[in-house]
Amino acid sequence: MTAPLVASDDVVLDDDEVAEPEDGVDDVLLPGATFDAHAVLASIDTMAAQRPVAAQIVALTHADDAGAKDLSRLLAADAALTGRVLKLANSAYYGLRGRVSSLQFAVTVVGFATVRSMATVALTSTDQMTLPAEHWTTSTHLALACSTLAPRMGHRAADALCMGLLAQLGAALLHHHDPQGYGELTAAHRSAVDRREAEVERYGVHAVELTAAAMRQWGFPSTMVAPLDQLHDPTSVDGGLLRGAFEVTERLVVKGHRPVPIHRLTCDRVREVDVVPVLTQVRTEAADLRRALEG
Amino acid sequence: MSLPVVVPAPGVPGPRTTSPARVGALDSARVSRAVVHAASVRVDVAILVVTADGDGARIRWANTGVERLLGYAAADLVGTTVEALFPRPPLGGTGALLRRERSVTLELLARDRTGSLVELAVVTTPSTEGGVWTVSAQHARSDAERALADSAAAHERRFTTLTQRSPMPTLLSEQGLRLAHVNDAFCRLTGRQAEELLGTGWLASVHPDDVDAVVGLAAEVLEGGSGDIRARLLCGPDDERSTLIRFSHLHTPDLGSGFVATVEDVTERLAFEAQLAHQATHDPLTGLPNRARLSTYVAERFLPGTRDGLGCLFLDIDDFKVVNDSLGHAAGDQLLVQVARRLRAAVRPTDLVVRFGGDEFVVVCEDVDEDDVVALGRRISVELARPVQLGGVGVNVRVSVGVTVQTPAHLTADELVRDCDIAMYQAKADGKGRVSVLDQASREEARDKLRLVADLRAAIDGGQLTLAYQPVVAAATLVPVGLEALARWTHPTRGAVGPDVFVPLAEESGLVDALGSYVLEEACRQIAAWDAELGVAAPRTVNVNVSALQLDEHLPSLVATTLSRHGVGAERICLEVTESALMRNADQARAVLDQLRELGVTIAVDDFGTGYSSLAQLRRLPVDRLKIDRSFVAELSEGHPEITGAIVALAAGLGLDSVAEGVEDVAQVRALVELGATHLQGFGIARPMTGAAATAWFAERAR
Repeated sequence: MTAPLVASDDVVLDDDEVAEPEDGVDDVLLPGATFDAHAVLASIDTMAAQRPVAAQIVALTHADDAGAKDLSRLLAADAALTGRVLKLANSAYYGLRGRVSSLQFAVTVVGFATVRSMATVALTSTDQMTLPAEHWTTSTHLALACSTLAPRMGHRAADALCMGLLAQLGAALLHHHDPQGYGELTAAHRSAVDRREAEVERYGVHAVELTAAAMRQWGFPSTMVAPLDQLHDPTSVDGGLLRGAFEVTERLVVKGHRPVPIHRLTCDRVREVDVVPVLTQVRTEAADLRRALEG
Repeated sequence: MSLPVVVPAPGVPGPRTTSPARVGALDSARVSRAVVHAASVRVDVAILVVTADGDGARIRWANTGVERLLGYAAADLVGTTVEALFPRPPLGGTGALLRRERSVTLELLARDRTGSLVELAVVTTPSTEGGVWTVSAQHARSDAERALADSAAAHERRFTTLTQRSPMPTLLSEQGLRLAHVNDAFCRLTGRQAEELLGTGWLASVHPDDVDAVVGLAAEVLEGGSGDIRARLLCGPDDERSTLIRFSHLHTPDLGSGFVATVEDVTERLAFEAQLAHQATHDPLTGLPNRARLSTYVAERFLPGTRDGLGCLFLDIDDFKVVNDSLGHAAGDQLLVQVARRLRAAVRPTDLVVRFGGDEFVVVCEDVDEDDVVALGRRISVELARPVQLGGVGVNVRVSVGVTVQTPAHLTADELVRDCDIAMYQAKADGKGRVSVLDQASREEARDKLRLVADLRAAIDGGQLTLAYQPVVAAATLVPVGLEALARWTHPTRGAVGPDVFVPLAEESGLVDALGSYVLEEACRQIAAWDAELGVAAPRTVNVNVSALQLDEHLPSLVATTLSRHGVGAERICLEVTESALMRNADQARAVLDQLRELGVTIAVDDFGTGYSSLAQLRRLPVDRLKIDRSFVAELSEGHPEITGAIVALAAGLGLDSVAEGVEDVAQVRALVELGATHLQGFGIARPMTGAAATAWFAERAR
């Protein structure tokens, strides 16, 4: 099964039709918003043309489609992405201390889902696409926080790492779409919650929703998309994973952040006492992971 | 997944006309209907036809599959909006789902007939006609996939349940060295919480010197297979445990490669093994290495054909038995501990001090010459000569020290140690408290003795020893009553070797039992042969000599089985035991002799008068006769009958026979008869002779 990546913003139904949905259907952007989600999502498809290898990997939705051997052969055609996967496999995160010398072994270790996530990230970090300030810092912290909190929230660390890694994809797209406006928005709103409110106000949709839409479009499994979807549902444990990860990230990177009690964000799955080792671990591994991802 | 469904245009005419122009259209219509039919009856997938116009996107047609998938009758769906069926369309709304230029594949939630949301894999394919789409939908995961996922989840739950409470510390990694799961046992072992151990945190609990090896092995296992490694785990500030970690490869689809590892705490086992190894190579009293350790130590350092490499000192405490006997064994032990301590202090740290056994110690030095070792021997002697306080008594310790330095003549490590043992005996023989270097003559003598022992063993095993028989006669009548069996050894190159040489040799080298059995066996065989040949004229008794070392609880059964094997009566055997053997351990000797007497054999005390018999003991011992030593009999010729007379009188007083040995002439016979000796034996009566000669001798006298 492959997800569509052929660039096209040729949508049959016009905006009016979309703006007047059937009753009970909550699928449109805020009325009056200048933001065109289709166009933004479609722009990723456009960018895919510049990273054909990454695009091909993103299009593989199941590991069954490619074993480590095939995947590494495919990956090898993209030198930059190859370098990142090798660096990641040798990063402190996987604990292998530079013992991964072959790409195939690297792919075996990090797994298909992670390679695919990295390919997805690569699509949004082409030369044509500038990234918001602090993008890598936030992404790496989120990824590690998700991975570290995952066992307490009933998630697999590996899936959570990918989800955290991709969570800021929507922010990158918004920034690409509206560099100046989004730059001002992020400068004015330091906290994630404030920022999301401002995003909704300005674009009718916030960055995490946009990420969820993009991931769904590429056929990422629903278990990976659920924490993004349910970010605002205070009763959702899945959403709690991402809320908790945002909180850990902000405690580490946002100056003057006022901590929110973690148990409230995580449906009581995580206590403050549990956060201490998580903060240490994320702080220790973030720089290393960032070096791997930035290439 | 999209299906080749052709939606028929409205108003397709039926097959009523037959003109050629219409035949093609007719066929096409037939095929189209067939296709629609085929699609409509499919149940494994729900197929919808959707059109979009100003009224929004609505369902125009549905197949039977929707019933199975969502519970709706196909007809019920016709006219419904797409949004009603898919209440959470993707971002961008229905427009993102239905695209004119390309098909879209998505996972979407659909509302089923009961109102529940069902996760579906949906493919929308635009028709060639604008505004029409075919939508196919099926479960996001196939039944098989769901079953597999459920089964995988169940496996995972089982695995977690199994390992969580297992006493075996267990690790589970799904990616690289990142742990996804640790069990309680591992947390307990490392004294850390699961949160600290998950991810790569557990590596901090591996001893820094072992981390590389652990990571190396785990990296190998990630590529497949399994492997074990010994590694230390840190379990608190001052505690480390030795463990055996067993890794097995584990692949999780999508996630990557990891491992399952079990950790066995082998600290106690290793400590126990080390303790056993220490016990096997060390003396518990002094804590010094023992003889086993000496062998391996010297063997490891011995290079044949070299000179002045290894030096060896053999020390024996002089008169240690006196300390033991006078102050008790506890004091003896204390003395050994003191000696061990002083020895250790006197040698270089690199020298090995060994308790060889009993009161014997060995010191091995490397890179020394003979002068060095002799100097060390003297230093040790001086050091040990300082009085040792034992139970309030000051004891002066003297040692005899044998010294050897390796020469090319030493072919094996054992020879080196044996030579310094010989040197020590030389030191003792020279007067104790000395340091003696093994000289060539002593060495040769010792080696010669060793060769002779080997030859003796071969001679006994090969039946090369013979027995000679010397008659014993009644003193009054000179009528023969029996014979004494005397062992003889004719060495193939040395000629006759006397019993005064080979009997002590057999006693020193552990061959005395074999020798004793052989003699008894041979004597019984000969009695049986004489009985067969001579009948009533056969000798009535044969005296067999028994060594002091044979005088233990095994002797009665040996005698009984040997007699029985040859069908010889016990009264035909007289065992001769020396006076000193009887007195060595009088209580045990008495117990053994009692048993022998019960069998029916008689007992003679050999060489009587040369040892230190207690007359009180003698009275209690179950003996039948005293054999007067030849030296006293010889004194008869010199006019001194006192001792012989006294022994004869003593025997008579105790009701025992008296046998005079070494009788050589008629004057002695007369004197002995006069003194009252009951039996006589000696060259003057008859020389020792072979079994065959004895047969003739007895046959002649029977006539």
